[in-house]
Amino acid sequence: MLARVASELYWMSRYLERAESMARILEVCSSIALLSTKGESQDDSAVSEPLVITDTEAAFEASGRVLGMGEVAQFLAWDEAHPSSISNCIQACRENARSVRGAITAEMWECINDTWLQLQHRRSLLVPGASPVDSTFFEWVKERSHLFRGVTFATIQRDQPYLFIRLGTYLERADNTARILSVKTRQREQGDLVADYYRLGAVLRSVSSLEAYQDIYRDAIDADRVAELLIFSDRVPRSLRFCVDEICDILERLPSQSGRMARRLAVQLQARLRYGDLQEVYERGLYNYLERFIEYNTEVGVAIGQAYLELHG
Amino acid sequence: MVVAHGLPVSIAAPSSPSSTLYDEMYLANGEVRAHYANFAQWFASQSGDAMAIKRAEADLLFRRIGITFSLSGDEGGTERLIPSDLIPRIIDASAWDLMEQGLIQRVKALNRFLHDVYHDQAILRAGLVPAEQVLANAQFLPMMMGLNLPHETYAHVVGVDIVRHNDGRFYVLEDNLRVPSGVSYMLSNRKMMMRLFPDLFQRVGVRPVEHYPALLLQTLRLSSLVDDPTVVVLTPGRYNSAYFEHAFLAKQMGVELVEGQDLFVRQGVVYMRTTDGPRRVDVIYRRLDDVFLDPLAFRADSMLGVPGLAAAYRLGEVVIANALGTGVADDKSIYPYVPEMIRFYLGESPILENVPTWQCRKSDDLNYVLAHLPELVVKEVHGAGGYGMLVGPAASRDEIEAFEQVLRANPSNYIAQPTLSLSACPTFVEKGVAPRHIDLRPFVLVGRDIRMVPGGLTRVALREGSLVVNSSQGGGTKDTWVLEKESR
Repeated sequence: MLARVASELYWMSRYLERAESMARILEVCSSIALLSTKGESQDDSAVSEPLVITDTEAAFEASGRVLGMGEVAQFLAWDEAHPSSISNCIQACRENARSVRGAITAEMWECINDTWLQLQHRRSLLVPGASPVDSTFFEWVKERSHLFRGVTFATIQRDQPYLFIRLGTYLERADNTARILSVKTRQREQGDLVADYYRLGAVLRSVSSLEAYQDIYRDAIDADRVAELLIFSDRVPRSLRFCVDEICDILERLPSQSGRMARRLAVQLQARLRYGDLQEVYERGLYNYLERFIEYNTEVGVAIGQAYLELHG
Repeated sequence: MVVAHGLPVSIAAPSSPSSTLYDEMYLANGEVRAHYANFAQWFASQSGDAMAIKRAEADLLFRRIGITFSLSGDEGGTERLIPSDLIPRIIDASAWDLMEQGLIQRVKALNRFLHDVYHDQAILRAGLVPAEQVLANAQFLPMMMGLNLPHETYAHVVGVDIVRHNDGRFYVLEDNLRVPSGVSYMLSNRKMMMRLFPDLFQRVGVRPVEHYPALLLQTLRLSSLVDDPTVVVLTPGRYNSAYFEHAFLAKQMGVELVEGQDLFVRQGVVYMRTTDGPRRVDVIYRRLDDVFLDPLAFRADSMLGVPGLAAAYRLGEVVIANALGTGVADDKSIYPYVPEMIRFYLGESPILENVPTWQCRKSDDLNYVLAHLPELVVKEVHGAGGYGMLVGPAASRDEIEAFEQVLRANPSNYIAQPTLSLSACPTFVEKGVAPRHIDLRPFVLVGRDIRMVPGGLTRVALREGSLVVNSSQGGGTKDTWVLEKESR
């Protein structure tokens, strides 16, 4: 297939995954913020958490907004100047899809176009000035993302376009899970133990893994196990191990001539996860471990770009 | 200023009194024409509410599928829906059969003309077309001289704009031999109508058009001398007003939709960049103009083209459809000579009529035009989109006087035609159903044979009295039905 088309498909799914991740982060953080205001002053760290996770504290400050859950949510969900806001991600996803309409099925296109049209409608209903945290919006984003993935799974040929779409999803998702986990971790290391239980529950919920945790451990939520589950589990679809397994599996099926470096980096990362354990993580420090993971994951992404997605030759 | 240049564009003259209006559905005495009888009977039995629901459904369908166009000059890509009307334009079997013959004849002659002007120039030597009209024409490409194309085919895909005047006869308004567009709307209209009114098609007996993409692919494959050639559609990109159509056709044909940056030329051979490495390309169905195709050969500032493509083309390593330099045959200054071409190359008399045309570069014609400006339509020779033209009967005295100055300053840049009264077809408007002016663009494919699907794109001017059918100016479209069997 055309390298440009592969690139558009890859970014299409990355952007949608990013929108979904953002919705998950906001949903969970806003519910924690609500919890922590009961009887105490507003917990600033809970409020700024979504900004820390997404590396956007400076951008938020520059936007001239006042720190508060509503403003943070408004910024990350709707800000037109912020490239990774949910609305901009959906817009970018739809633009990518539009430019490769021929490479996706009509159902996929209609799904993403409809999502975009609904987004316009929702935007038109926003009341200027007011900035309510609208959990139905986050629900909607997740639902549309689920729907698109489902339509993709159900309609597209099992061919290169499908592989590049999934590749984008898992690279983005691995990055996201590592970020969520690293921020919660840092706060724990700062000694903020009061709301630990809720925080860990929130981490698990934000990556749809609370049920998996309960099913696997059948015990109270514990920080070590949460880390173990989200890093090493080969069963939870948002764990680092699971995402990297998928990436390796996909790279295996793409043309091998140009993809040697990407494959090598991905398999190295996979080996660390497959043969690593919590002991190793704590020796390095969980936060450092995750930072390093994010770097590795980015390198894999760059190598994939060089192998398949760039216009040279 | 906005110009929807990806879309078919034509303008004819303003409305004449309704007494002289030719209605496609009704006779002057108010009776339904025979070929509309079946439809009219069905239509009368539909409630207004039911039709309103269908109209809303159609609108939603089009928006959801994303059948839109964007106005050029609007890089943000504002997308607009082209209104699609639910009352079909119906053409009787015999009328179509004659039109089809006329189109085949006309397109055959135009291709012969193109081959001739780029080779022996017999028609110029015979004095039938003035040599300077061809050789000094901006659309004439010297690089095409002496180049032999497979099957001597220059225009593989041709859109011919046809109108019916109030004398009841069809006239060719213009030929489009470069990158005619609109066929995706023809196919989408049909798809929508069949989805909304499946029973109606059986009842009326309509010839199918859905195989157009298959015919197009076959035409493109046969255009190359290579066995099993690789065909691609070349688009300027997603911000082009007709991008939907480019993507639609590529998808329907199952070929790659490429942009200039996806292609490159190495040692005279064209390749596309794929995830498996370079892959050779044999046929390019291009949807951008000559001047953008190759920055080395034409406009150096074009970001849309492929450096070296023109050289590869001259080596015969790739087929470009339509060929380069076809614009010299659809120019408005060449249009008046098409009937002459038919007689000269085919020895036949023209089946389809031309609109009488005054060429302002001739002093006699110019004098006539200047004396009759209030009743004529005056167009730029190379113009499109309805700009830089005068519609006499609709213009104020000041406008006419201003235009007269422009015309006198550069008469050879203009032609003039009588004001045609386009036929009308009943159409849904704000308040019920009313007649609105229409035209027709059938699409002709030139392979070893010349073929087309029965019908074409019918455009309708939605504003009352308006004759402007192009979509950037409030035009809509209709499904075009050619009847299986002659009515009555």
